[in-house]
Amino acid sequence: MATVIGIVIIVFFIVRVLPGDAAIVRAGPYANEQKVAEIRQQYGLSDPIPVQFRDYISEVFTGNLGVSIRTNGDVTDELLQRLPASLELAFYAVVLAAIIGIPMGIIAAARRDSWVDRMARVFAVLGSSMALFWLGLLLIYFLFFKLRWFPGPIDRLAIGTEPPDSITGFFTIDAALHGDFGLMVEAFRYLALPVITLGFVLAAPILKMVRASMIDALESEHVRTARAIGVPYWQILFRDGFRNALLPVTTAIGIVFGYMLGGNVIVEFLFAWPGVGRYAYTAIQVNDLEALQGFVIVVGILYVGLNVVIDLVYAWIDPRIRLGKKVAA
Amino acid sequence: MSVLGPTSPDGGAQERVEGFIAPEIPGKAYQLPLWRRKPLLIIGLVILGIYVLLAVAGPFFVDDPRVTDPANFYQGPSSDNWFGTDKFGRDVFARAVHAARLDVTIGIVIALSSMVIGSAIGVVSGYFGGWVDEVMMRLTDVVMAFPGFVLALVLVAAIGNSVPNVVIAVSVAYIPYFIRLTRAQVLAERELEYVDGAKLAGNSPLRVAFRHVLPNSMGPSFVQAALVAGWAILTVAGLAFLGVGIRPPTAEWGVMVAEGAPDIITGQWWTALFPGGMIVLAAMAFQFIGDDMGAETL
Amino acid sequence: MSLLEVDGLTVGLERSPHSLLREVGFTVEPGEVMGLVGESGSGKTMASLAIMGLLPSGIEQRGGTVRLEGRDLMDSGTGEIHRTANQMTMIFQDPRSALNPTMRIGRQIARVIETNQNASREKARAAALAALSHVGIPGAKRVFRAYPHQLSGGMCQRVMIAMALACKPRILIADEPTTALDVTIQAQIFDLINDLVQETGCGVLFITHDLGAIAEMCDRVTVLYGGQVMETGSLRGVFTQPLHPYTQFLFDAVEREVDPRVEEKGANFALAGCRFGHRCPYVFEACGQFPPLRTVIEGHRSACFLPEEGRIGAP
Repeated sequence: MATVIGIVIIVFFIVRVLPGDAAIVRAGPYANEQKVAEIRQQYGLSDPIPVQFRDYISEVFTGNLGVSIRTNGDVTDELLQRLPASLELAFYAVVLAAIIGIPMGIIAAARRDSWVDRMARVFAVLGSSMALFWLGLLLIYFLFFKLRWFPGPIDRLAIGTEPPDSITGFFTIDAALHGDFGLMVEAFRYLALPVITLGFVLAAPILKMVRASMIDALESEHVRTARAIGVPYWQILFRDGFRNALLPVTTAIGIVFGYMLGGNVIVEFLFAWPGVGRYAYTAIQVNDLEALQGFVIVVGILYVGLNVVIDLVYAWIDPRIRLGKKVAA
Repeated sequence: MSVLGPTSPDGGAQERVEGFIAPEIPGKAYQLPLWRRKPLLIIGLVILGIYVLLAVAGPFFVDDPRVTDPANFYQGPSSDNWFGTDKFGRDVFARAVHAARLDVTIGIVIALSSMVIGSAIGVVSGYFGGWVDEVMMRLTDVVMAFPGFVLALVLVAAIGNSVPNVVIAVSVAYIPYFIRLTRAQVLAERELEYVDGAKLAGNSPLRVAFRHVLPNSMGPSFVQAALVAGWAILTVAGLAFLGVGIRPPTAEWGVMVAEGAPDIITGQWWTALFPGGMIVLAAMAFQFIGDDMGAETL
Repeated sequence: MSLLEVDGLTVGLERSPHSLLREVGFTVEPGEVMGLVGESGSGKTMASLAIMGLLPSGIEQRGGTVRLEGRDLMDSGTGEIHRTANQMTMIFQDPRSALNPTMRIGRQIARVIETNQNASREKARAAALAALSHVGIPGAKRVFRAYPHQLSGGMCQRVMIAMALACKPRILIADEPTTALDVTIQAQIFDLINDLVQETGCGVLFITHDLGAIAEMCDRVTVLYGGQVMETGSLRGVFTQPLHPYTQFLFDAVEREVDPRVEEKGANFALAGCRFGHRCPYVFEACGQFPPLRTVIEGHRSACFLPEEGRIGAP
């Protein structure tokens, strides 16, 4: 909780207390005197800093993130409108990353130094050094331009296609819920390239974590005991190995989410995905600091919220945290 | 009853045993040469060496990347233009080599500065403890609450586009790693006896912290610095790709990818993919170095 | 035919000429407790892991055989030991870290029963509950549902023994089972092990550095130092008349000073010959060769060249 407050404060300072007149920066390079004065008035920028701070805090905590300079729309609304797109992308990317990373990590740990292990390690290094934008461009070139398997980087659906009525905000799920499976497939096709780009890169840290914690688990004493008393191989691998490796793996997923919140800006920009990342990009281009401020706060809160969820999951998985007391001496 | 003694029905294994046992040197592991023990480190250093060479000497050997040759635009890779030409007819390879100077330097500078600053803070925080430590930890928590890229993005947006600003912004994003790393080491080190010795010898606390404890706490930081250098290049390029930070016509790999991106849809892949490849290769080199730098186990 | 026969066991680090165990051999007869004594680092745990086929990665077996009831346990193709829990099982030194921290006790025992006795889920659960009472755990029902971190060390060790029991092994290896526990609990654990031997006629390899425990539990003793067997014989024989200089050191409460000239001479021998050479006051030229275990008295062997010279260490 303290972290959230900290975030809010820091954002304020970054955005407001900057070199240069805040109003001029906001108005952009093409504004005239009058516009600058308007802005100054509208945003209360001539008020002393403590006053600004007070206004800012009260606004933020009532959920009002201000008004966008560019669109004159309410920042909160604009962010909420775009959030489902980002979430859908993020969700599938993490799923893909997990599908790739977790099994590979397990097999790599179970068969140390085999060709699978070597391949996994190469993959991990590649993923960790990968530039998202480069990979995205690569995939666009090969899978769209050359092979035409997937549509080009324009939005979530083809131009002119009606999105399904919103229930969850996820095009794929909403389309399925309406029984329109053709539309669902379309949505998946447009999701494919950005999801693969993100998923590939996210899989690397997951794989590394899974492999490392599986190796630790498999070399632990209780696995040794299990082998001594005759527990079958597969059971050891999953129940004693993986189950106990789950804790560090959960942490890894948290880290991955963090990376993704940042990576989202690049991927959304590249694939013209109408999510919060893209919103932030356009905000930067026009110095729409209000919008940017809102974006950063939302990201920060999401990240902290996620860590809280992960701590809860941790507590649920590990009985040592869940139940403390001694039963028998 | 069997006779127990140096016998073994497994003739093959026995032979190996004989061969190894005399002469034995207890405690010394059988030593493979460095390039076999740590192949990745060597590969990483070699690649990095090539990059540094390109950065330092490259620009003297290639054409001026600013020279435009409109007649020659969008040529694919050839023996004249190893990486092809872009829409202005500029030689992509020449431009990439010039960009190497910028990117490699930036990466190393960012890694070093965040390491130095972060370690200094980490030592102070870990050694002196108290409210200084508390405050520092809270601050790092907040800074680390943001994904590094977003933080750098916002910082650059706030303080303006220029190379020094980018360096500052990205360094700030990575400083917390070093603070935490160094602090953890310092917490362990300060319990060791040599610290008492240094204190008894009359050194001021500051001197003990920086002259004695810090050097011994830096181990993991160097490894991290190698990794950070690679990430820094990725981040800077990523920012440039978005048009934040370093902008055209400055030759920087991310800028080149941004310029070349629209070309992909029309099939001119070389303008974007070659510079991007340079980025990834550099990052990989640093990754290899960082991963394999660790101390050897027996 | 001995129940367990270990012969010429040699173990070392992969890609290193260094040996951790060299030509280790001993037997365990049915219904007897064989003690494996040695100081820390002497290789006792390593030997037991090697016999069980549980060597950690990076360590390989280079020679030797392990025979259970006459059958060779080693796969001649891969060199790996194949052993079922029914043949041989092991309990470990630190019972709390030896149990799976995320699995309930009852389940951990039950699955051993399920696999080793081919029982159904329900039968296994009932048997597990019974096993807990059998090893003297009060409130078995509560312990059944508990997790390892909620039990004390002694309790955990009993659970381990219960799990070992459930395997119905022919050989039980007990690696320092009471080192991490109170002395008061120690006696109870010893009783448990003795009961097990009585009931099933299995053999026990009892590993420890505690001479007192050896005296209490064991029928025969093997002394290990530096990865080599120094001496082996009946409990009474080894204790009353130690043949090997090292064993004599063990029982001797007095500090001995080793002549530096002797120490230097011996240090060279330790590399290729007798590992104890560098500390032995009686070291001589023959010690540069690896000393095989030779019978000196009926049933009592020593790995030393002194008896050939007509001397037995200290007079």
